[in-house]
Amino acid sequence: MTAPPQVTTGRELSSPPADGITNLRFSTHSDHLLVSSWDKSVRLYDASANAVRGEFMHGGAVLDCCFHDDSSGFSAGADNTVRRLVFNYGREDILGRHDAPVRCVEYSSATGQVITGSWDKTLKCWDPRGASGQDRTLLGTYTQPERVYSLSLVGNRLVVATAGRHVNVYDLRNMSQPEQRRESSLKYQTRCVRCYPNGTGYALSSVEGRVAMEFFDLSEAGQSKKYAFKCHRKSEAGRDIVYPVNSIAFHPIYGTFATGGCDGYVNVWDGNNKKRLYQYSKYPTSIAALSFSRDGKLLAVASSYTYEEGDKPHEPDAIFVRSVNEVEIKPKPKVLPNPST
Amino acid sequence: MSIVPADPLMQLETTCGTLLYELQIIWDEVGESDTERDKMLLELERECLEVYRRKVDQANKCRAQLRQAIADSEAELAAICSAMGERPVHIRQSDQNPGSLKAELRAIVPQLDEMRKRKCERKNQFLEILEQIQKIKCEIYRSTGYPPANTVLDETDLSLRKLEELQTELQAVQMEKSERLKKVLDRLNTLNSLCVVLGMDFKETVGEVHPSLGESEGTKNISNDTIEQLAAAIQRLREIKIQRMQRLQDLATSLLELWNLMDTPVEEQQIFQSVTANIAASEDETTEPNMLSVDFIKYVEAEVSRLEELKASKMKELVLKKRFELEDICRKTHIIPESDSSLDVAIEAIELGAVDASSVLEQIELQISNIKEEAFCRKEILEKVEKWMAACEEECWLEEYNRDDNRYNAGRGAHLTLKRAEKARALVNKLPAMVEALASKITAWENERGTEFSYDGIRLLSMLEEYTILRQEKELERKRQRDQKKLQGQLITEQEALYGSKPSPMKCQSGKKGSRLSCGGGASNRRLSLGGTTLQTPKADLLHPTRATPNTRQAKKIERLHQNDHSNLLKDDGIASLSAGRRGLDIAGLPVKKSSFGESPMVRKPFSPISSTDSSKSNATNILEDLSRKHNDMLQKTLSSNNASFTTPSKIISAVEEENRTPKAKTIPVPATPATVSVPMQTAVTPALFAAPPCNSKPVDDIPEEIEYSFEERRAGFVLPNSSLKTTILV
Repeated sequence: MTAPPQVTTGRELSSPPADGITNLRFSTHSDHLLVSSWDKSVRLYDASANAVRGEFMHGGAVLDCCFHDDSSGFSAGADNTVRRLVFNYGREDILGRHDAPVRCVEYSSATGQVITGSWDKTLKCWDPRGASGQDRTLLGTYTQPERVYSLSLVGNRLVVATAGRHVNVYDLRNMSQPEQRRESSLKYQTRCVRCYPNGTGYALSSVEGRVAMEFFDLSEAGQSKKYAFKCHRKSEAGRDIVYPVNSIAFHPIYGTFATGGCDGYVNVWDGNNKKRLYQYSKYPTSIAALSFSRDGKLLAVASSYTYEEGDKPHEPDAIFVRSVNEVEIKPKPKVLPNPST
Repeated sequence: MSIVPADPLMQLETTCGTLLYELQIIWDEVGESDTERDKMLLELERECLEVYRRKVDQANKCRAQLRQAIADSEAELAAICSAMGERPVHIRQSDQNPGSLKAELRAIVPQLDEMRKRKCERKNQFLEILEQIQKIKCEIYRSTGYPPANTVLDETDLSLRKLEELQTELQAVQMEKSERLKKVLDRLNTLNSLCVVLGMDFKETVGEVHPSLGESEGTKNISNDTIEQLAAAIQRLREIKIQRMQRLQDLATSLLELWNLMDTPVEEQQIFQSVTANIAASEDETTEPNMLSVDFIKYVEAEVSRLEELKASKMKELVLKKRFELEDICRKTHIIPESDSSLDVAIEAIELGAVDASSVLEQIELQISNIKEEAFCRKEILEKVEKWMAACEEECWLEEYNRDDNRYNAGRGAHLTLKRAEKARALVNKLPAMVEALASKITAWENERGTEFSYDGIRLLSMLEEYTILRQEKELERKRQRDQKKLQGQLITEQEALYGSKPSPMKCQSGKKGSRLSCGGGASNRRLSLGGTTLQTPKADLLHPTRATPNTRQAKKIERLHQNDHSNLLKDDGIASLSAGRRGLDIAGLPVKKSSFGESPMVRKPFSPISSTDSSKSNATNILEDLSRKHNDMLQKTLSSNNASFTTPSKIISAVEEENRTPKAKTIPVPATPATVSVPMQTAVTPALFAAPPCNSKPVDDIPEEIEYSFEERRAGFVLPNSSLKTTILV
């Protein structure tokens, strides 16, 4: 009752991480929220009760995390480790190691595999059911052209975005080589890649305030649909200021998506109709991560300085959970009465 | 004389006569004197005698030699015969001379030869047997250094008897040898079976005793030493076997115990069936190969330790579960578990392996049973407490309800609230009696037990006291309010008398917040106190004792008083009331759903018209599309000039630019928000623009570098191995 009500930003969760937030994700089974941070911790929040349900301390900063099921998850550590976390008993064990910090982790419920991307320029697949020990859990290592920066999964498709603006599209059933090798259609470093929920393509954001909408279909008709748009920019004193787009999150039901940038704004877009649906009020600092809850009624926003300007004083790291109104997120069709996402 | 030339002597005589005649003729011719002739003839005679004598001597010597040879042969023959234990085949009667000496010798020589041959044969036989004996003895006593050059044959005794003796000796020796060999083989077999069971290398083990034993072919060493060593080796292995068997049986016992304990599936047990099958076997019953090998024992050990670990972890889980159970019971019965920290310590100790989990489990079980017992005797009082709490809540609600001036407005569910209020009033009337009864019960309980009745760590009696005090305070407050109201009424009537009638300030306010308070507010507040009790853990309570029910209510009351003050002072305070309501909702952890408001309440400012923000916004965006397009082009130009300094050129650049400029792309309402345009748009969309001006703006000019790094990599100080120079600049 001490803090002033956050009417415009949503409810702020108590006891946020002590350092930069690297990612947050809602569970696909409940309103639990898994948050990884530079303070070497992974925390499990109950977003509806505003309570911390579990906390794991790692040996190094945690660069990504994801759920396995509602009672366990995985984390990617800057100490090169991939860990499995069991929330009920607070147990954690090491699934395996990379040769460099692990940047991102994804769990594929379709194949039951954990996929990690690292700055050692490899992608590794793990079987979390195996007994601990790298030789028993590691399913395969796949060399990437550059350090892996972002991963996204939809069905059996895996999109890997790396440094040097490479984008590899894999089929999880045949990981021996990429299904497609692409170059980012944006000119600058890739920040985030996320697949459309309907599995037809992916959105890719760069450090230079731009998002590209891509399609897997390589036919001319399929590729003609692709486009890019600018966002998270500001004009000040005649100068255009461009901010990195750190995060993209698709709405699980409507297929519209939210982007978060270093300008502290969260924008909601309708990719099909090429419209901006909504802009939420500004958050105290950069938006490091976004996640919609399973029913899309809640949006978790990590407002946390992402080190884009090096070490400098900044606003405290915070997690906001805001309820999402239908009007803010529902696609607004222009011609088609029923937009299928 | 010449007529009988057959006689040599006669011939000789003739020759001599002729020679004498010839000499007489010569002499006659010469005219030798007679003396001379006599002298010559004497000389002739003497010379002739000399020749004869010599020949006779010679013949004599030859005879003697012959005799000697015969004697020698006879002697040798006799010697051989005696040595061979045979009667001489031929005994010469030396007296009766059967013939000439030469004949005698001729007769004896073949006999001698044959005897010699026989002797030689016999000797060879002896030698052969002796040699065999020697060899066997050598084998038997090899290690003891039996003189090997002992095959000297006693040539004087080559009799058949001796031969037989030697043969029996040989047989004896052979027998001994075979016996020993059997023994050795026997031991080797034993050793082999032991080795097989123990999983040792048989050849190596045997080779240590004697290198010859390990070879599958060739003679085996059968000396005493070897046999002894073999026996020792067997003894040693047997000891090892017994030792290992005990170890294995111990392991098997623990295995069985663990299986029993954990209901291990049969498939998993099957693997170790051989181990458990031998649990009661004696030493010589375990013959399975590798049954007692080090590897196998290690394997079983590993299994046992795995199971033990499993057991430990299960125990731990069990302990944790029990602990949760304990905590759960404690929470349900509102008891503070006494030794919570000690339990933590115990659990930590289990993790470290210092304490046996089962003892901790027992301890927890004991605690649980204790707590259950205690809970049972507290039950009656707790039920009453529940009732009291429920009554308190109703009271609270009633108060709130009473304050709502809109409560009699007929609306949906109004009759239900009315009914509820009626019931609540009855309940509230009963409250003091309830509290009193509860207090007396508690005192009785405390007197009976000699301890305080604590509720979530707080003494219940003190809670009750607090409550009664609170109640009294409230009563006073109410009285004061009533007085004030009266005063106000007077004031109004006075004013009315002076200036005419005026609308009541109450109504003005009620239009805004009435419905919310009666429905949502009431519900949320109830949730508040409920949430407080259900969600709090005992520990948290210890830290924040103010969260116990009566205290929260107090805090809330104060807040409410503030509101009342405001309304009394005729100040509109929509935001405050709204925010208070929201705060309440937030704490209760309710997902904020306000469909009745259409737009989210946080967007709408007080007194701002709830006009269609929707349409206005879409209008705004439509207008902006054109504007932004122009600006886009312009900005792209400015940007591209900036871009010139970037070092990462890309062939797609132009493509993208073109894509953005294609007629199709132009229809896209690219929602880039240039400064001039974004202001009105943002006002239409969100009120957030009124927030503080952007402070962490940042041009991206400095992003491209020779080797690009993401923010995370920079922060983590991660550098590619081949770019060491860069690190000093970046980190």
